[in-house]
Amino acid sequence: MALQMKHDFSQEAGVWKVRVSGEVDVATAGGLRGLLADLFQEKQSDIVLDMSDLSYIDSTGLGVLIGAYGRMQESGHGIRVEHPRENIAKLLRITSLDRIFCAAEQTE
Amino acid sequence: MADFLKISVPGKPEYVSTVRMTVSALANSAGFDIEAIEDIKVAVSEACTNVVRHGVEELNGYEVSCELGDDRLVICVIDHAGGYDVAGYKMPEPDHPKEGGLGIFIIRALMDEVDIFSEIGSGTRIQMVKYTHR
Repeated sequence: MALQMKHDFSQEAGVWKVRVSGEVDVATAGGLRGLLADLFQEKQSDIVLDMSDLSYIDSTGLGVLIGAYGRMQESGHGIRVEHPRENIAKLLRITSLDRIFCAAEQTE
Repeated sequence: MADFLKISVPGKPEYVSTVRMTVSALANSAGFDIEAIEDIKVAVSEACTNVVRHGVEELNGYEVSCELGDDRLVICVIDHAGGYDVAGYKMPEPDHPKEGGLGIFIIRALMDEVDIFSEIGSGTRIQMVKYTHR
């Protein structure tokens, strides 16, 4: 299954909202990398990734998030992952990336 | 008596999802639960991604072999992409995440047994085992 991405800038929250659906793997991760870079270049603000409809992500996709996060962090911004499915939440947990990307959800 | 299934895969990124779906169907018919199927799917996919990202020429494929035993599924991902120094692998550090190096870590976390054999100048074989009742 391919990767689909929809994005818009939320004036109210002051963040980019990106809804990803399908699968992020070695074949599709480049698209996500490009979109995150483009959005951040257009407007420097936090990015919220809604993963409700994402069925799969692998280390390539997580690598894209880490890379983007690293570049955004230099200007004080970050990435937040929302509504990951259980299989993806498990992957974020075992790699300890939930500490970076799901911090807000854990403290709610 | 174990059943064997072998797939020859072109070394292109777009075929990793084909392997993922095939192995997932196999694990499903072998009676693994949903979480275990997902673990197997991710681990095999990571092993294939390693091959595709680290070396295999587009013309050279790699092999995925599955052995379905009474209580286990053994999957080997075998390439002839020149091998690498397994001892040189560094575990990812949670406080300083990097873009690379997560694949092997994820495979080890999700499967019951993992063995990596690599010979520099030759190739790499990642063998992963998942037991049905654990």
